[in-house]
Amino acid sequence: MAVDWEKHPRLRELRFTLIKIFRNPTAVLGGILLLGFAATAVLAPVIAPPRYPDSPYRMPRKGYSPIPKPPSETNVFGTTSGQYDIFYGVVWGTRTAFKIGLFVVGFAAAVGIFLGTVAGFYGGLVDELLMRFVDVVFAVPTLVLAMAIVVAFGRGLENIMIALALVVWRNYVRVMRAGVLTLRDKDYVQAARLMGVSDVKIMLRHILPNAIYPVLVIATMDMGSMVITASFMSFVGLGAPKGYADWGQMVALARNYIVGPPEDPLRFWYTIVIPGGCIVLFVLAWNLIGDALRDAFDPRQRRR
Amino acid sequence: MGPFILRRLFFLIFVLFGVSVLIFGILMSFSPERRAAAYITTPQQAKDLPRLVRTYGLDDPFYIQYGRWVGEVAAGNLGWSLVAAQPVWTAFWMYFPVTLELNLYAAPLIIWFGIWLGTRSAIHRDDWFDHLSRVFAIIGWSLPTFLFALVLLMVFYGYFRMFPPGIIGDETALYIMNHPESFSRYTGMVTVDGILNGNWRVALDGLRHLVLPVTTQVIVVVALLMRVMRSGMIEELSKDYVITARAKGADDRTVHLRHARKNALIPVVTVAGQLVAFSMEGSIAVEVVFNRQGMGWWLAESATQLDMPVLMGMCLFMGLVFVITNLVIDILYAAIDPRIRLV
Amino acid sequence: MSADMAGDDRRDGRRETGAGAHPILEAKDLVVNFYTYEGVVKALNGVSLTIPHGITFGLVGESGCGKSVFVRSLMGLVQEPGRIDGGELIFYPGPPSGDGPVQGVDLLRQPESYLQRIRGDRISMIFQEPNAALNPIMTVGEQVAESFLFHRVREMSEKIAADLGAGGGRTTGPVKAVLRVLCGISARNPHARVLRVLNRVPVLKRWRRRLLREALSRSAELLGRLGISNPEEVIRRYPHNLSGGMKHRIVIAMALACKPVLLIADEATSNLDVTIQAQILDLLKGLKETEISSVLLITHDLGVVAETCDRVGVMYAGNVCEIANVGELFRNPRHPYTQALLNAVPKMAQTGPLESIEGTVPNLVDPPPGCRFHPRCPNAGEPCREVFPEMREMGVGHRVACYFPVEDIG
Repeated sequence: MAVDWEKHPRLRELRFTLIKIFRNPTAVLGGILLLGFAATAVLAPVIAPPRYPDSPYRMPRKGYSPIPKPPSETNVFGTTSGQYDIFYGVVWGTRTAFKIGLFVVGFAAAVGIFLGTVAGFYGGLVDELLMRFVDVVFAVPTLVLAMAIVVAFGRGLENIMIALALVVWRNYVRVMRAGVLTLRDKDYVQAARLMGVSDVKIMLRHILPNAIYPVLVIATMDMGSMVITASFMSFVGLGAPKGYADWGQMVALARNYIVGPPEDPLRFWYTIVIPGGCIVLFVLAWNLIGDALRDAFDPRQRRR
Repeated sequence: MGPFILRRLFFLIFVLFGVSVLIFGILMSFSPERRAAAYITTPQQAKDLPRLVRTYGLDDPFYIQYGRWVGEVAAGNLGWSLVAAQPVWTAFWMYFPVTLELNLYAAPLIIWFGIWLGTRSAIHRDDWFDHLSRVFAIIGWSLPTFLFALVLLMVFYGYFRMFPPGIIGDETALYIMNHPESFSRYTGMVTVDGILNGNWRVALDGLRHLVLPVTTQVIVVVALLMRVMRSGMIEELSKDYVITARAKGADDRTVHLRHARKNALIPVVTVAGQLVAFSMEGSIAVEVVFNRQGMGWWLAESATQLDMPVLMGMCLFMGLVFVITNLVIDILYAAIDPRIRLV
Repeated sequence: MSADMAGDDRRDGRRETGAGAHPILEAKDLVVNFYTYEGVVKALNGVSLTIPHGITFGLVGESGCGKSVFVRSLMGLVQEPGRIDGGELIFYPGPPSGDGPVQGVDLLRQPESYLQRIRGDRISMIFQEPNAALNPIMTVGEQVAESFLFHRVREMSEKIAADLGAGGGRTTGPVKAVLRVLCGISARNPHARVLRVLNRVPVLKRWRRRLLREALSRSAELLGRLGISNPEEVIRRYPHNLSGGMKHRIVIAMALACKPVLLIADEATSNLDVTIQAQILDLLKGLKETEISSVLLITHDLGVVAETCDRVGVMYAGNVCEIANVGELFRNPRHPYTQALLNAVPKMAQTGPLESIEGTVPNLVDPPPGCRFHPRCPNAGEPCREVFPEMREMGVGHRVACYFPVEDIG
């Protein structure tokens, strides 16, 4: 059956939003960047065939010298300290970045949306307890709390991801609950209640679709900021063991070489600029899209 | 005012209690043996972990251990920091001024820049300035603090040899060490102490080491404030009272600064808490990269060396900062918005 | 308040003003468009209107017909994404003296600085939502005082200077001398650059405080005249702790502060309950006699029109379709839309059901060609679909834009 874009109001809104997003040049730039990263992540085994097929995230190394080597024919982006191949690390690091973002945001958003909707819709004691708990968790900044959890669980990329997921769900609960609270007393929801529509159906059909937009925006932005936080923790040394393809760790490897010999202080620029640039562009892509989504969903700016 | 203070005090206790239970809960996921490692000071002790566990009661039920810990904390004993090789409480007063100094310089710049940029871009919406500052904001938003700090260090220290990392130059440090009678450390903040002692050389050296850290902090944190200010200002400018003011014959300056900006500051106060949290997180990265031995550096170092008492103390400190920030926000609200009264 | 009361011959003091009177404002072919995402909304489609001096002119029409856009373009306050795309707005600021020709100014061709001087001084406006129209975080007094501070600095400085000369107040010696000099400067040129710089100097700022005090006391006095019982106390309050009717009076006070020659009331009474509405209308009527010369009243309430107006313009979908004196219009509506509008109002002796107007208000992005009313018009014929009908004079001072007007019963 052909979809009639003009008839269904929700579809019309969606089309309007999409048009609005695609008219925004920065969003298009973000989309292109993101597509590039996604393609790199998917095609990683083709672009950079792993040396160790069982553990593809292990970066191949060409010796043990701590001095980085400049780009050459065999190592197109050069090698970083410890002779790890930068090109390989960057390509497989893309996968790591997506893994971090999707896991953390996916978990946090799912938990946050569920708890926020239920708490906001029913209110009462459960809501009160949940929100007081959220108050407590909010008292400690994300990075500090996540670090404490990683220390407790032990180092490693998986534990960083789990720690972040355990921390950031609080944002989603708050945003979702606030949205649900304003919608809960709207006339159309009351009308649906009076008509005897079940609670679950009201939540799914009337509340969720209207309250989800702010959550989508912060989820998009968080895809980037979670990668920043995770890479900082790797940088500090809480992440995966040495040699794992992860941008944060590659920056950490380059840390002692940010200043070269006196006659050529910027000699080792590639060790930091290449993995660092990847982090910035990855985060930028998500932020550009998130920004465009925010503008597109903002009812005050919509019809301009 | 009375009940307000009382309620805040209750909130403070509640948050600190909650945070401590939370952190203690996390800590309890260690096995007793691993937690015992924190008490090791000599090699012989390492051989007899079970004895340590028993001595310190590490296999007691949660609430007993928690109660014991709270008693210790109340007595001012936050534990021993491996990293600092000092009690946590003493070490705290060593590291705290360094972080405070950084943020003392960064915060006014962040507030001033953020409000100015946001206001200007909202007033001149969609012109080159607006586009430029939005691009700046989104890039600032996307820059990981530690990476930006590294690049600044690479360029301004590595290439231009201008702003070195650290808190203070070697010569200056030596000078301070050798002249304890003429240079007293009143606050622990290098620039402030320099000024208080009337020693400009020390103050300037401290300032020189602060340029890059403060720049990093400002650029990374200002984006949030600017964005909130801009959207608040745009919203206020579209409100009816702005038209009323114009209909009275107000000029642009009056409309923007007297009417709209003051109203737009109300939502800005809301994100003040977030700004403080960002500054905390930013300080960690800045201090790690620029090698400034402040609280952020201490925290990161403690995390890598599994120095759990420090992490717990730090979380409690954050809870305290959080509550105080919220108190300040409430007072600010009441100061700006006459509709809100502190009761 | 029923519309047909106006059908009676109630000429109590109201001037029936024909073409002969001095105009205070002439709009010629005013075109305003809004450039939105959905397309260009043609909000005003060549509106021509003359408001004679000294009367209350009513502008009626359904919501969305362009009344508010019209008055906002008078004030130069059309908001983004709207744009004034053509026409003229001739305003006659001075009082018409004897029989000499009055100098008119085209407001659309004046710089913003000129408009700022006119707004709130010569033309001012009362808004429909006093809640939204007042700045929530400024005291009421400050907001009323602004009107004086924008337009009456010269006069107030002279007064302060004179007071200082007379030896009033506590200030003495050199400070007083400085204050007098400053007041002298501002009496000559309120926007002098020197003053702007001096206003930042701590001690000299006190001059500004005097001005503010003077403006506040004038505001309090004005509020007193508008029937607020304890004005000295009210000016220190914020809008949120005033009642609705009180806020309304504040908004009116802001508009009246400088005794404008033209007062625009945009739906000023629409959202009020009936008693307050009556109070406000009485207040306006009284002020009309004493303070201001002309009033432009925007409303969709025909009862209010019948009560207060001398002359009425009827708008439909961005056009003016009929202009007449109030008695004539109610007695003898010539445009089919006006007639339909009158029929839709309940009468005292109503027996059958109310009539409504068939069809819906057209979408102004894509309005019907020709006369915009033709799809809903019972009289519509061939020419209506193609060319917009010109305004024609039908009777003294009665102008109608219609090819097939309702027949004359007068």
